[in-house]
Amino acid sequence: MRICQRSVLFRRIALAVALGAATALASPASAQKAGGDVVFAQSSNPPSLDGMVTSSQASRNITMNMYETLFGFDENIRPMPILAESVEISPDGLTYRIPLRKGVKFHNGKEMTAKDVKASLERYRKHGATAGLLNPVTSIDITGDYEVTFRFAKPTPTFIEAFASPRAPAVIIPEEETGKDPGKINFIGTGPYKFVEYVPDSHVKLAKFADYAQDNRYKGPDGFGGKKTAYFDTITFRVMPETGARTAALEAGEIQINEQIPIPTARRLKGDPKFAIYENKTWGFLTFIINLKQAPGDNPKFREAVQVALKMEPIVGIATEGLFSLNHGWQYPGTTYDAGDIGKQWYNLGDAARAKALLAEAGYKGEPFSILTDSNIPEHNKSAVVIAEQLKAAGINAVINQVDWPTALKIRLQDTGWNGWTLVMGIEPYLGPVGVVATLVGNTAHFRQPDPQLDALYEELISGKTVEARQETFRKIQARLYELRGIIKIGDVGIAQAARSNVKGFTPFRFPRLYNVWFE
Amino acid sequence: MDADALPSATSVRLRQAGRFMLRLLEHRSFLIGSVLFFAIVACAGLADVLASDDPNRNDYAAILAGPSAEHRFGADAFGRDILSRVLYGARASLRIGVFVVLGTGVAGVFIGTVAAYVPALDGLFMRTMDGLMAFPGVLLAIALSSALGPSEFNVILALTVAFMPRTARIVRASVLVVKELPFVESAVAIGAGHARIILRYILANSLSPLIVQLTFVFAVTVLAEAILSYIGVGPPPPAPSLGNIIAEGRNYIREAPWIAFFPGVVIAATVLGLNLMGDGLRDVIDPRLRKLREAG
Repeated sequence: MRICQRSVLFRRIALAVALGAATALASPASAQKAGGDVVFAQSSNPPSLDGMVTSSQASRNITMNMYETLFGFDENIRPMPILAESVEISPDGLTYRIPLRKGVKFHNGKEMTAKDVKASLERYRKHGATAGLLNPVTSIDITGDYEVTFRFAKPTPTFIEAFASPRAPAVIIPEEETGKDPGKINFIGTGPYKFVEYVPDSHVKLAKFADYAQDNRYKGPDGFGGKKTAYFDTITFRVMPETGARTAALEAGEIQINEQIPIPTARRLKGDPKFAIYENKTWGFLTFIINLKQAPGDNPKFREAVQVALKMEPIVGIATEGLFSLNHGWQYPGTTYDAGDIGKQWYNLGDAARAKALLAEAGYKGEPFSILTDSNIPEHNKSAVVIAEQLKAAGINAVINQVDWPTALKIRLQDTGWNGWTLVMGIEPYLGPVGVVATLVGNTAHFRQPDPQLDALYEELISGKTVEARQETFRKIQARLYELRGIIKIGDVGIAQAARSNVKGFTPFRFPRLYNVWFE
Repeated sequence: MDADALPSATSVRLRQAGRFMLRLLEHRSFLIGSVLFFAIVACAGLADVLASDDPNRNDYAAILAGPSAEHRFGADAFGRDILSRVLYGARASLRIGVFVVLGTGVAGVFIGTVAAYVPALDGLFMRTMDGLMAFPGVLLAIALSSALGPSEFNVILALTVAFMPRTARIVRASVLVVKELPFVESAVAIGAGHARIILRYILANSLSPLIVQLTFVFAVTVLAEAILSYIGVGPPPPAPSLGNIIAEGRNYIREAPWIAFFPGVVIAATVLGLNLMGDGLRDVIDPRLRKLREAG
């Protein structure tokens, strides 16, 4: 690999490759068996199979088995090259030269070249669900058949980390598809499985791509990349909205992997040798967002009362049916940007008396406090119920407005019509500090009213030159979040997934990796 | 001459009512049905006394707890007491039932009577009712409640609109028969006004099928409310209703069957009670069935 010696990113990515090769999810060599159709059940239809235009988990579950990106996250959430060979960053940080892997085939048989990459990324600028990721890049130039060069107006040390985000992945598709509107493309990627059919409300079918170009720099799959091997002939993603129906189908053997099962069901199935249960305790952050533009949430004293009134353990405990961790922080404990005890004194208090005193100080007169939630995501509506009860106990006239998920997403974008909103941040905490804070700044801030201090800290965070500098900034951000209280951290949410025990090699991840998985 | 002025008429009516009640009480299925139904009404009415807990109090330590001395019917996924929720939920379901019965009764009687009594309006009113009846009742109620948003009032409104056409039709049929009878002619002959003829002579003599119909409307309302709550367009959380308790229990049917079981039993008992009462009323009111029974 030809890489600029002065680049911090180079060291991280080179390290990622080296570690990846050593620690990739190596599977026992003898046991794998090819063939079969695996059925994976998930709760919703994918809004689109055009990989770059949506940030929906239901889509990502499927598309990340079909498409690939230049960079992605490895198992430990560090950026790693996937379709890129490496990255060479100039000393001034303004030019990123990215050689591409050779011999990578698209599902239509064509080889991937720099033209496809440039065209895909230009399309991402137009239609990508998180197109802003490419804002710092002033131009993408083809500098060889298998090489592209990104040029920047100013150094952006966090660029590769942000660009590797799987939220709305910047997938590479053939050049001839890139002129098409969102959702109108032929679903052609470079991944180990290729698209067969999509029957809405029923299923999506993928088939093994025989000419898949494995990434032999690695021993096995690693995060979103690594050496991928498709063992199944076909994969069926079945859409089953009813939790109970998914559980019954798993027990009956009609499906082999279940996206999510209720924790009490997981506990019941745990002892049964027919099933394998996978628990992930760091799936997301449960949060309670307050609308800063509408009374009474516009009053800082009122928000302080809300913070003081809430006892997090029952909220997150009931919302997750017991699979949770109490965590006041805005990063997972022990991760690079964990800000330590900042704000902990405000967390999990449940002090109704003190909240009442604060409400009196705030001049609160019993105006209704409408908590927006949805009927689709149990963590959202369950936490809303418990929060409402706790706020009522503190003297707040809390009422619940439960609508369906798309309606909730519409209402929360209004300045009025809601006071509180329960939300699980799923992928954002996984993406690290930038992922979390990006949702809280500017005009699209979850709490409606941008906070100039927080906006400035966000700028400081994304332009921080070293990890240490960014860690320091993130400590300030966590402190500011506990002063502002536009968003209240409730706790860390876990999920349980389940599979039939004849499914081997499955390792839970941000999306179901159905390569390097086989039937026994 | 005013018929009311005759003292004997009142006493005759009282005697008739007494005989009617006696016949009702002799009717076994009416008796069983009313005992069942009024027992549930009494429990729901006394929810404040009988409930062991606030139906909305969460208790993290008790989530999905099985039936015990503390939680007689167990606890749900919020650790809330199922007994208390079933009692208050039954109260909500019965309250909705009463208002829907009142709503369909008043609207059905008005529309049915006017349609039958004023031939010029018959076509307009009844074709509108036919239009509404073209939709399956529960489906119409689901569409209306989803459009109006989840609240108890909207559930009442939606179910009233859904069940009213059938009631109007029954009242109209009954009024059409009664208005041709000789005593109505006599009333016209003595110069009675329209209001008096309708209220005193026609309606008073065409209400029996309506009463039977309304017991069924009540039963169907309890079921339909459960359906609406089950699919999430009933009264919003955390307010308990029999349907939403079952809906919350459906994901734990294997791990905590008590959540869905107890409200299910209450719904079944309420509907069975009302149907038995309705059957009994019909038997006693309908002279032909009465004669058959007496002969048998």
